[in-house]
Amino acid sequence: MLIDFIQDIIFSAIAAIGFAAISNPPRNAYVYCALIAAAGHSSRFLLMNIPGIEMHIVAASTIAAFIIGVLSVIVSPRTRVAAETYLYPALLPMIPGMYAYRCFGGLMMCMLHSSEPAYNHYFYLFTSNGLTCFFILLGMAIGATIPMFLMKSTAFTATRRQNFAKK
Amino acid sequence: MTKPTTCNASVKEVGRFLASYADLLFASGSTCIRLEKNSRRIAQAAGMEADVMILPHHIQVRVTDSHGNVTTNMTDIKERPNSFLINAELSRLSWAIADGHVTIGHAARQLHRIANTPRVTPWVELLLVALANASFCRLFGGDLCAMAIVFIATAAGYALKQLLMQRKVDFRIVVVCCSFLSAIIASADTIFSLGTTPQVAIGTSVLYLVPGIPFINSFCDMLDRHYICAFGRLMNAVVTTACLSVGLCMAMMVMHIDMF
Repeated sequence: MLIDFIQDIIFSAIAAIGFAAISNPPRNAYVYCALIAAAGHSSRFLLMNIPGIEMHIVAASTIAAFIIGVLSVIVSPRTRVAAETYLYPALLPMIPGMYAYRCFGGLMMCMLHSSEPAYNHYFYLFTSNGLTCFFILLGMAIGATIPMFLMKSTAFTATRRQNFAKK
Repeated sequence: MTKPTTCNASVKEVGRFLASYADLLFASGSTCIRLEKNSRRIAQAAGMEADVMILPHHIQVRVTDSHGNVTTNMTDIKERPNSFLINAELSRLSWAIADGHVTIGHAARQLHRIANTPRVTPWVELLLVALANASFCRLFGGDLCAMAIVFIATAAGYALKQLLMQRKVDFRIVVVCCSFLSAIIASADTIFSLGTTPQVAIGTSVLYLVPGIPFINSFCDMLDRHYICAFGRLMNAVVTTACLSVGLCMAMMVMHIDMF
């Protein structure tokens, strides 16, 4: 489990850097994105895998998103960028992409199979994947935005500068 | 604190600036709450009030000055890729206006510069996305062989995406084509029995196309009670996910692989 945990930290950090590149963050943000994503994703890993806790993915994602939100709001004033710059790339490795497209896959298979048992099976896959995806996203959004509302003055003044360089 | 220097700007000047500002900020991936806060901050620096109406394709900004003069500007939201660099620069600009470091006239010139901020080099972006997706494959339990195949599949799919986007092909068609190509390449793991986790390889090969930021933004807007905008963003994200599923399913049918 320790090796899995370390792997989770390393690969979630790499995933965050890669997916952050698509949304063009400032250069100095990459390191923080990686560290915050690693902290969030590994927290979720622990919450879901520690014997005795074994939390559901929705609850674990919500708590992990809260951790990511707190770290993003704390770090953003130090680097003078908006909290979302760290928040979103760090959340991206937890986006339930597999559930999302399996949901659509289930829907398509429903249309291709007319027999009742097969249809029911694929409809079950469509709804179960769709609902899990929806509630993970909702939990992540709630978890990530709570710190922004709790620390509103910090979250929305992070980009304020005493001296603004006119270019 | 320096006294604001934007108080000489006319209501029309502020209205025009705010419409362009809101368009750029929204298109760069900002949430509605930040858009409203920044716009109001800029208007208040000029001694005015701003009301912003955000629709899925348009933004309307109404500015009222202390004499009761009103101007309303409607802008069409231009499609552009998300950019947190632009997002951060625009937030910084709003504070610079509020603190009196910059006038509205100068800020309008700054806006043009910010809109043309260079992005990450396409090759670097491609390499980083391919590495990220290969890492994703590992997080889902894929072996080294699956990781290597996902890396190649993602690199090929992302290169195709860059090429088609350059040629201004409709984004939904781009997503279908890219997911089809990536899934076809990733199916090599299943067909040639290269590794022990072929299903993970094919499943994660298209994850780079999942619209993560629109999904998160839509739920954040929903929590902030911007339901129309939240629904618009959610529908965009759902349509993109549906397109990637179509590409993936087509590839699986062609290669005779079961999805579940």
